[in-house]
Amino acid sequence: MAGVGGGGGGGGAGKMADKEKKKKESILDLSKYIDKTIRVKFQGGREASGVLKGFDPLLNLVLDGTIEYMRDPDDQYKLTEDTRQLGLVVCRGTSVVLICPQDGMEAIPNPFIQQQDG
Amino acid sequence: MAANATTNPSQLLPLELVDKCIGSRIHIVMKSDKEIVGTLLGFDDFVNMVLEDVTEFEITPEGRRITKLDQILLNGNNITMV
Repeated sequence: MAGVGGGGGGGGAGKMADKEKKKKESILDLSKYIDKTIRVKFQGGREASGVLKGFDPLLNLVLDGTIEYMRDPDDQYKLTEDTRQLGLVVCRGTSVVLICPQDGMEAIPNPFIQQQDG
Repeated sequence: MAANATTNPSQLLPLELVDKCIGSRIHIVMKSDKEIVGTLLGFDDFVNMVLEDVTEFEITPEGRRITKLDQILLNGNNITMV
């Protein structure tokens, strides 16, 4: 009987914990990027960079002074082709795939190239 | 929502900015190489948009495609930028 009571109490506590876990919590704190230039990549291959002015938990973003880069078949990854100035834009969180700071990145030699052994 | 989001309330919310644009001409970029220019009449939580006096552009062939008047409902699934 005491075990059943204890089980009931444990079940109740478990339900409360589940409700608390369902609250929306962002795994990424974007407030540290406010007023900084960030690079955003979208589904469909578009890239854009701009100053982050605002955001919401659904990852919709407000970027200012936005520059958009588009990829072509012959472009591969030449970002300088086809750039457009877009000014103040709202980016849909549903199509954002990557967010990173614009600076603080450098190209490194390919670490995955393996030596061929005889 | 304010309780669990630690965002600064004095910043600019994306949907607030879209709300300010109601009645103005806006330019919508889709996930594909398509863009829509029109007057924003309204939007919903999913950012489906109702537009008026709409022109549709295909970016790669660089031609204006169709000029559609009256009103359209644009499905928010494919919208990338506004």
